[in-house]
Amino acid sequence: MIEDYTEGTGTAVVGGTERRSSRSLVALFWTVAAVGALLSLVPLWLGDSRVMMGVAVLGLTFACYAVGFNLIFGSTGQLFLCVGALAGIGGYGSAILADRVGLPLLLSMVLATVASSLIGGLLSWIAVRRSLGVIFTGIITLIFSLVFGNLLLGAGGVTGGDGGFHIQTGAGTFLRQTIPPYYLMLALLLVYVSAHGLLRRSHIGWAFRALRDDEVAAELAGVDVSRYRVYAAVIGAAMLGLAGSLFAFTEGTISPTTYGFAQIDVETMVMLAFGGIGTLFGPVLGAAVFTIIDELIQDLGQLRLLVYGALIIGLFLWVPRGIIPTLGDLMRRRQE
Amino acid sequence: MIANLLDGIVLGLQFGLLAGGLTLVYGLGGVLNLAYGQMAVVSAMVVVLSMEAGLSPIPAVAVGLVAGGLLGLLLDLTLLRPVYRLHGEARVLLSLLLTLGLAFMVDGFLSWRYPTKALTLRIGGGPVELLGVRMVRGGVVASVITILVLGGLLLFFRKTTLGRAVRSVIEDEEGARLVGIDPQRMLRLILILTGVLAALVAVTRSLVTPVAVTAGFELTVSALIVTVVGGLGSVGGAVLAGVILGIISTVAASSIGTVLSLIILLGAAAVTILIRPSGLLGVEE
Repeated sequence: MIEDYTEGTGTAVVGGTERRSSRSLVALFWTVAAVGALLSLVPLWLGDSRVMMGVAVLGLTFACYAVGFNLIFGSTGQLFLCVGALAGIGGYGSAILADRVGLPLLLSMVLATVASSLIGGLLSWIAVRRSLGVIFTGIITLIFSLVFGNLLLGAGGVTGGDGGFHIQTGAGTFLRQTIPPYYLMLALLLVYVSAHGLLRRSHIGWAFRALRDDEVAAELAGVDVSRYRVYAAVIGAAMLGLAGSLFAFTEGTISPTTYGFAQIDVETMVMLAFGGIGTLFGPVLGAAVFTIIDELIQDLGQLRLLVYGALIIGLFLWVPRGIIPTLGDLMRRRQE
Repeated sequence: MIANLLDGIVLGLQFGLLAGGLTLVYGLGGVLNLAYGQMAVVSAMVVVLSMEAGLSPIPAVAVGLVAGGLLGLLLDLTLLRPVYRLHGEARVLLSLLLTLGLAFMVDGFLSWRYPTKALTLRIGGGPVELLGVRMVRGGVVASVITILVLGGLLLFFRKTTLGRAVRSVIEDEEGARLVGIDPQRMLRLILILTGVLAALVAVTRSLVTPVAVTAGFELTVSALIVTVVGGLGSVGGAVLAGVILGIISTVAASSIGTVLSLIILLGAAAVTILIRPSGLLGVEE
């Protein structure tokens, strides 16, 4: 089951997909359902503790971020170092629209998600138009992240600045209880994973694979590479914005560090790299493992950073493709 | 206004020196060292600890510079080994990720072991009169040191055989190999040199403001942005971009506040990269 969803590098997998497409669609559905069922048991185990449920919700949020980032970086090779900023546009945007402007909660979430999506698309469009490589796209989006962080601080009158934004909308409803946010975020994650799975089976997914494997060949075969890059960024940024927005309303208080570069981007990247860049379930596995690791080393204080650094180095040295593809290889070898 | 301009040049020269180190390693070896700011901070901490152990400032600074060079050598001998086996974009990406990991390790260890330490070097004596403006003596000394070092670097690359060998590798690695230059040895040499430069930036910065344990990330990001604006692989571009961005930053900070000035600074950098992706003095491909 696992290897069904690792994106193959050669044409063998692409050729086989067509034959299996109806079967693998059923397999996708069952795998998503199994992962969902497994994750929905977590509150039975941790439901008594508000703190632990908060950790679990954060873990799911990171999984959502990782799916969005995966779509942009894993599928089309655009290194977006503004995961936190795009999520923050969703979070701060919807909080401001709901609290300060007075729009209904759902409408404000939709508008903020659209804003995040458009900005993601714009960044991608600029990168494509100027044909910036991986590193330059990374630096431009990193600059965007830093600008966004400073804007949050500079516009303290609207955003609450360093002290944070205490969101009134949704206070006292199920959004701020212990268990419901977990299931909301889980539902969002399952929708994201399914959407990513379906997308890969559509013509957009074909184009993604083609342009990732060999950009020049894809261009020659008639794939409009730049258009599909922008598509990926638009969809991925919408995912980031919506997850950031939902997280803001379940959390009740957000601050610049909720969406900071150091807090969100690095962790998302590590989670995705651990699970497997380009895989469907890598983001979920990575987020789960790193949320647990983070909890285990909670007491180490500043030393946590050291552990994280060592993990990053070990990860990229020894399992650079991530756990899921590596396991898939091992299983395949054993079958043969 | 003139005071701000001079302050901007002081800051910009340091930006330039820092970015120069980053850009040399990138140009020579395709290695993007994201732990560069942390190398500066480690050297600064070595200076602090040496002074606490009873050394007077100048020998302590010397120990710090040696430590910086050793860090560069250590990086070459350990973490960058696997990076050297790759080529092209994969090489840049792996070097970036591994050194990011190293940056976290260093930050984590330092802020756990020495949470409140910072390097501050003070130079006695009153302010110095320059162009009719009174400047803090530390800033002037820092700038003079930085200019001397930049001049030294320029002479090294223009006049000495070793410096020319390094430049030949940046321009054409295959050609350099054909005339008997070992690019790997040049890279090791430059990593040691840039380690010393990082230490020097920490020392000169500490003449103006305290260099705290947590300064690494900020130093790396500033160096990275200045490097890209100046043009990857161009030391002259790094200095030019450093001075321009330094002036923008201090002039804007004094007239509209730090937050907005940072935004303007970053915006200016972004616009430059978009208009000229190869950087101010970079080679157009």
